[in-house]
Amino acid sequence: MESVEVSAKTVDEAIDIALDELGLKRNQANIEILTPGKPGIFGLGGEQARVRVTALEEGTARPAAVEEESEDVPEGAVEVKDIHAEEVDLAVDYLRTLLELAGAEAEVSVRAPETAADGLGRATAVLDIEGEDLGLLIGRRGVTLSALQYLINVMVTRKLGSRVLVTVDVEHYHRRREDTLHGLAQRMADRVRNSRRPITLEPMPAAERRIIHLALVDDPYVMTGSVGVGDERKVVIRPRGDSQGGQRPQRPDFDGRGRPPGV
Amino acid sequence: MKELIEFMARAIVDNPDDVEVSEEDAGDHIVFHLKVAEEDMGRVIGKQGRIANAMRTLLKVAAIRRGARAILEIGEPAAGRQDPP
Repeated sequence: MESVEVSAKTVDEAIDIALDELGLKRNQANIEILTPGKPGIFGLGGEQARVRVTALEEGTARPAAVEEESEDVPEGAVEVKDIHAEEVDLAVDYLRTLLELAGAEAEVSVRAPETAADGLGRATAVLDIEGEDLGLLIGRRGVTLSALQYLINVMVTRKLGSRVLVTVDVEHYHRRREDTLHGLAQRMADRVRNSRRPITLEPMPAAERRIIHLALVDDPYVMTGSVGVGDERKVVIRPRGDSQGGQRPQRPDFDGRGRPPGV
Repeated sequence: MKELIEFMARAIVDNPDDVEVSEEDAGDHIVFHLKVAEEDMGRVIGKQGRIANAMRTLLKVAAIRRGARAILEIGEPAAGRQDPP
C-alpha cells in the first residue's frame, strides 16, 4: 500500500503535504502522527512534526461519519498555530474571567496538545484548569466543560476572526474520557459482532462520537454511523454488510463496504 | 451572575453597548433577561441554540456556587416570552 512519511512545522501541515504527494483526500488515507512536534521560541529549539500517511484500499475510505463530527467550534477549516499565538493568550484571558465570574476558584495553565484527546492536530493549545471542586466544571458527561470550551472558542473567533482552537481541560478529563470511550467502543463492537445486531450508544458530544468512530474505523466486522440531531445525536455500531437494522437479510445492491444510508 | 451573562454576551455580539441584562426575582429562582441588538440575536442564540445553551450551562455553575437557581431568557423583555425567529 502506498505510504509516505513527512515532516513539517505542524501536524496539519505535514498531513497536507503528504496527502498532496499521494493525491488523496483525508478520508482516503490513514494518518498516523509519529511526532507531534513542538513549537520553538523564535523558530529555535522546536521539534518538527512527523506523520505517516497511508492510502486506504479502494472502497475502504473512512466513513464520512468520522469527518462529519465537527469539534466544539464554529464551522470551517481550523488553523493550528504556535502556542504563543495571540488567540491562545486571549482564550486564557477569557477563561480566567469566566471562571472568576462563575465563582470558581481555579488557575489556568497552557500546554501543547499531546494526544488525540487533547485535540492534537486540531487544537493549538490545551488550557488546563486546576483548583477546587472541579467536578462542577466538568458536569454530567462533560457537558459543562464542553460548553466552556465551545464558548471560549466562539468568543476568540468572534474577536480575532481566526479559526484557532483551544481545548479546555480539567485534570486530564479528556484523556480519561478517551480511555473510557475506547473501552466502550471495543466492548460494544464485540457485542455487535457476536449478535449481528446494531447497537445505539448514549447521546454524546461531537468530539466523543468522533473518538468512537475513529476507534472502530479499521474494525473488519463493524462500522459506525450517527443518528439524531443536536444533543440527542448518538453513535450506531452496525455489523459490516448490514445496511438497515440487522434483522433483515442483506440487500443485494449493498456491497457491504460502503456506508449505510443516512449517515 | 449578571456580570457573567454580560461578559459572555458582549464578547459574542457586534454591538456590545446594546447588551442589557435585567434580573427578576421569581421566588425560588432568579430570571435573567438578556437583551441584545436585533441583528445580534442570532449570535447569542447560535445554531440550534448552542450558544444560548452554553451560556445557560455556565450560568448554572455560577448559580450552584451561590446556592441559587437561575434561568436565562433571551429576547425583548417587553415582548414577553416571544421566541426569537
